[in-house]
Amino acid sequence: MGQKIIEVENLTKIFGEKLIAVNNVNLSVEDGAIFGFLGPNGAGKTTTIRLMLGLIRPTAGEVRVFGERMTPGSSGLRRRMGYLPTNPRFPPRMTPIKYLDFVGRLFNIEREERAKRLSMLLRSVGLLGDASREIAGFSTGMTTRLGLAAALMNDPELLILDEPTSGLDPAGRRSTLELIAELGKEKTILVSSHILSDIDRICSDVGVISDGKSIFSGSMKEMKKSTRSHVIRLELEGDLPKFCDALRKVRWVVSIELRGDYGVDVAFAPDVPMAEAVRQATDLVSSQGLDLISVTSSTSSIEDAFMALLRDEESHGFARAA
Amino acid sequence: MGSPERPRRDRETVGLAPFWAIAQADLGSLFRSRITYGWLLAAVFIQVVRTLGSGAAVTSSVVPSGLSDLVYIWSLVLIGLAASSVSSEAGELADSIMSKSVTRLDYILAKFTSRVAYALVCFSVVTAVLVGLSLRLDVADYDAAGLAEAVLLVALTLVALTALGVGLSVALRNTVVAMVTLLVLWYAMTFFFPILGLGAISPGSVVGDLPSIVRGSWTAADWESVAGFLAVSAASTALASAYFHAKDI
Repeated sequence: MGQKIIEVENLTKIFGEKLIAVNNVNLSVEDGAIFGFLGPNGAGKTTTIRLMLGLIRPTAGEVRVFGERMTPGSSGLRRRMGYLPTNPRFPPRMTPIKYLDFVGRLFNIEREERAKRLSMLLRSVGLLGDASREIAGFSTGMTTRLGLAAALMNDPELLILDEPTSGLDPAGRRSTLELIAELGKEKTILVSSHILSDIDRICSDVGVISDGKSIFSGSMKEMKKSTRSHVIRLELEGDLPKFCDALRKVRWVVSIELRGDYGVDVAFAPDVPMAEAVRQATDLVSSQGLDLISVTSSTSSIEDAFMALLRDEESHGFARAA
Repeated sequence: MGSPERPRRDRETVGLAPFWAIAQADLGSLFRSRITYGWLLAAVFIQVVRTLGSGAAVTSSVVPSGLSDLVYIWSLVLIGLAASSVSSEAGELADSIMSKSVTRLDYILAKFTSRVAYALVCFSVVTAVLVGLSLRLDVADYDAAGLAEAVLLVALTLVALTALGVGLSVALRNTVVAMVTLLVLWYAMTFFFPILGLGAISPGSVVGDLPSIVRGSWTAADWESVAGFLAVSAASTALASAYFHAKDI
């Protein structure tokens, strides 16, 4: 097990004795991980991140970063961190060159080093051509790219990205995700998002938060496994009713549901291994003379796993209330 | 995108680097502003007209009159700039500054320093023109030390105004509310504090004493004003720093 870079213990934040934004959250991020921080809008992701950076103080609990407690005065810890906020806001009258130089000075990076690093970063995020324009005229995508460059100015060991693909077009989103995956080879990264496919694509570990409470923390594989639903979906071409009749005679099949003109959801008994269910179902497809278009396990979808976690949390909530 | 060799800097401390970076960036943006140029041009022009167009005027009335402009009228510019110093940055403060290697004290002291430095530089330019031209007037009834004391006392008054403004800008999130509060406070100090027996921290009392100070008469009440404005500046800086240290950003 790797060293823990972020440890969040019983973290609670109540604003004005009215709003419980974060409620007893626990999670940990290991060295070298790309950790996906998932949750619906308003779940408390940004508040948790701001607590991790020491921008706000916890009502209870604590955040430890690099083994040390994070407080508003922990500027030494923040020197080792990079942060990209959601829809970042920068001094509008500054140019990217001036802003990145300013950030470099905040980290006490030497002048020569600052110049070298900011030109390298501006090239990397594709802002070299706009380096002398005022930030005020930048689009959302350009501002996000500048934010990413600013987050990397001090070459941090830990990178915290809050909704990095928010407001980006498909091409920008794709290149940002590729960039994060590339950065993940040498840094520990925490990426918050409500876009499940983004997290599925780049993250090794995941934490899920809902209504300010953490409802899962572990590897992506564990998350999908924990919400296994014992259903396979087949997409077929051919005589579907005849195939369904044949399936009903199979011992381990619990139920069958037709999905449109091509799809069949087959629920199987929990004691049957997934591989065995898939093997026997595809054998049956061949023997019935149908063309197999695709086979999907519902456990491979992070959307299903995420929704199952939320449903589970909701039912637990009702149980606790009762 | 990260380089194998990390940027060279002291791993343990950044010292005063963030303080200087914030103060210099703030001063840079203030001195690039059109408000500054407009203020300086108008103020200098008025001082030139006042001294050259005053005929057989006397130094002990022209200099206090010029300095009183700074307290009564040009202080409006300082009220606007000081009271917006922190609250106007609220949106970008966390994103672009406080999430970096910056302490709360670095930021707030840099803001106080830059705004006070700005006020003093602008004051010095306008006062240099005023005093320079006043020394050539027909009736030069001034005492050199008294002239310097009068200028320094008004400078201290404006430092207190700036410190109050930055303090209110920390305490009040809304820039307009901070400006209006400072405006009301400043004019209350100017016109009503003497009635309430608080003349020592009243800019109005200071302006009233300027003619005699310029002629060389420095009294115990003037020392009280020095102590009062220093105390106001120090208290505002200390309270604002403590509040900023404790607040969520």
